[in-house]
Amino acid sequence: MGLTWYLGVDVIAIVLATGLGACWLLRHRAASARAQRLLEDRLRFETLLSDLFAQLVHVETSGLDAALEGALRQMVTFLGVDRGNLDEYVEGAPGIRISWAVPGIEKLPSVLAVSDFVWTADTLRRGGIVRFSRAVELSEEAALDRACYERLGTRSHLSIPLQAGGPMLGVLSFDSVISERAWPDDVIIRLRLMSEVFAAALERKRIELSLAERLRFRRLLSDLSARFSGVSILDFDAEVHGALRWIVDFLGVDRGLLIELPGHQAPGRSWTIGEAIDAGRVPWLMLRLREGDVIHVPRLAELPDEAATDHETCLMLGVMSLAAMPLRSGGAVIGGLVLATGAERGWPQELIEQLHLLGEVIANALAGANAEREARRLRQELTHIGRVSAMGELTASLAHELNQPLTAILNNAQVAQEYLESDPSNLGEVREILKDIVADDQRAADVIQRLRALLKKGALEYVPLDMNDVVDEVARLVRNDMVIRNVPMTLELTAGLPNVRGDRVQLQQVVLNMVLNGVEAMGEPNGRPHALVIRTARAGATAVDIAVEDSGSGIDMNDVDRLFEPLYTTKAEGLGMGLAIVRTIVDAHGGRLRASNNASGGATFKFTLPVDLERTR
Amino acid sequence: MMANARLVFIVDDDDSVRKSLSRVVTAAGYAVEVFASAHEFLARPPSTDPCCLVLDVRMPGVTGLDLQKTLAGALHHIPIVFVTGHGDISMSVTALKGGAVDFLTKPFDKKALLDAIARALAKDTRDRATEARIGDIKGRAKLLTPRERQVFALVVTGMINKQIAYELGVGEKTVKVHRARVMEKMRAGSVAELVRLADAT
Repeated sequence: MGLTWYLGVDVIAIVLATGLGACWLLRHRAASARAQRLLEDRLRFETLLSDLFAQLVHVETSGLDAALEGALRQMVTFLGVDRGNLDEYVEGAPGIRISWAVPGIEKLPSVLAVSDFVWTADTLRRGGIVRFSRAVELSEEAALDRACYERLGTRSHLSIPLQAGGPMLGVLSFDSVISERAWPDDVIIRLRLMSEVFAAALERKRIELSLAERLRFRRLLSDLSARFSGVSILDFDAEVHGALRWIVDFLGVDRGLLIELPGHQAPGRSWTIGEAIDAGRVPWLMLRLREGDVIHVPRLAELPDEAATDHETCLMLGVMSLAAMPLRSGGAVIGGLVLATGAERGWPQELIEQLHLLGEVIANALAGANAEREARRLRQELTHIGRVSAMGELTASLAHELNQPLTAILNNAQVAQEYLESDPSNLGEVREILKDIVADDQRAADVIQRLRALLKKGALEYVPLDMNDVVDEVARLVRNDMVIRNVPMTLELTAGLPNVRGDRVQLQQVVLNMVLNGVEAMGEPNGRPHALVIRTARAGATAVDIAVEDSGSGIDMNDVDRLFEPLYTTKAEGLGMGLAIVRTIVDAHGGRLRASNNASGGATFKFTLPVDLERTR
Repeated sequence: MMANARLVFIVDDDDSVRKSLSRVVTAAGYAVEVFASAHEFLARPPSTDPCCLVLDVRMPGVTGLDLQKTLAGALHHIPIVFVTGHGDISMSVTALKGGAVDFLTKPFDKKALLDAIARALAKDTRDRATEARIGDIKGRAKLLTPRERQVFALVVTGMINKQIAYELGVGEKTVKVHRARVMEKMRAGSVAELVRLADAT
């Protein structure tokens, strides 16, 4: 089309009029044709404008980019240029560019390198437009920009800032590559009108995206909170890893590192998504995290000099941009969340705020898990102490139990020796004796086995258990003690109990402590005959009851609340740990513990455990 | 070891301990009778021969110490060797105060047990001899008439006939006759011997 047609209309008309000395009619016709053309042109513009408006305003956010590209193509065609570009600025991040070019002309890259067009960017930011027919028209201060335009093959260029009442949303620009062209003011006026439509579309996109983004973020946050609340300590590692995966996906980064930074010690546990980042090789980052600083590095060049090691590590790992958030609990830094990408990217303030919130959720979870782990350790410690103190109480009985077989063995061995020395022919008797020795050895070993099981300070093992077995094992253990203390012990076990799920040794401990407690309650004579009953029963369809009933002096119901507190004791020699340990263990098994006085005197301690639903027989 | 003292009773509720004790004692040449409880032992008629009791302290129901108390009420006190799995001081004091010969803590050496049994049997033999002698003297004393008993009581205080006659308000001759009867019935060769017999009654 050569020169733009709408400018040409006037020029041609004038040339025709003067050069040919045309008559009025001609002039009239020409004017009429010109008016006609102006009208057509006007109509084309109005049509395009309403088209663009319709396209860009009614489209869904998801289809907006495609619609913008379509609109751009229409504009390029309308203007008769070679290339049109819509640069969308994103706060704190490199912008996104939609570019459309006529066949044979290269599109511009879709990522903006704003820094190359310093003067242009500055002009636009001030609300001005940039236009030139030839690059040489650009002033000296735009020398850098000129070189860039020339490198892109741009001969004539027009940039219009896109604004919708707020900060600059982007830039609409057109290039003429094949030939030079001018950008008269009326064109600019029309383009400014059209740019309003683009700006409105970008503004809508920004609002809707940020709204969607916020919703997405809120969902992530509540999902994370839900994920961590009530998570078992055993599944914690997997949950943290899953949570980190969510965060990495949400932020669209390709690496995530969650690391525990306990006190001044070496880093604790860590979880990674993507290729691992060795905390030891990013010392500056770890130091800043420990100091509680939030770090965001859009480009490696922005790392300070003292982060030379970190810089090197990032280069080696192909990390181009990163952000790190300290995780705090109770004011102290307990860890850090590091996110990194293989491409440069901005970390807008809003994103940093979001990271703060995510960090809080994770810090809470970590702190909670640590507290839980500590409580668990204390609980095991307590159980062990309880076991040892229970051992003390059982020592007499166990020593007796062990001494019985040992005595028999010693006696038998000495007799056998004597037989062999005095009457070597009496092998039959010696054989008998040896058989008895072996049996007594086994008996001694069994006692030691039980002793060991009781003292074992191992990790807890939750397995399906028949509480009747547990009660039976404890009864065997204390049987001797009961005889010595002259307390008749009765077991009333309900056959066919459903299994519960628990740690065998811990539950034995519960029954043992309750039995010892009952026996001690009967220490003072109270006129009633001593009797201890251990009972098991179903408690509805989903629970099992284990009760220990004594005929002692009963409980002072005023103190019933304190009964299970550590160090609470009514006994002169008691440590007051027995029932506290019972409660701790029963709680840990999701059970309930109750104490009550019997109508006939004495007290009953009862605990209820939920049935193991997974493997109920 | 006394020639006839060969019977040992063993009371222990633990089967294998009882069996092993029985073996040790049998191998040492004693006659052994075993019992699983105090009740079983009490059901057996008391032995008239020298014997001893090896007794477990801790037993369900009637304990060894309970049995010791019960046996203390009998005419003849059978010597007891206590054995226990876990003895404490108060328990052993109680046992020894009650007349136990020994208090052995399990596990114990065969020799310790056999020594204790030997001592217990020797004691029982001695006790029985003494008891027999005292029984004999008491039997003799029963033969005395009331008057002779009066004379007997005064003779052993060292009084001469004249003093006794004065004391009893009888003639000296009469005292002399009674005194001769007492010496005869009590089978005493001298006043000194009579005094010893009087001490035993």
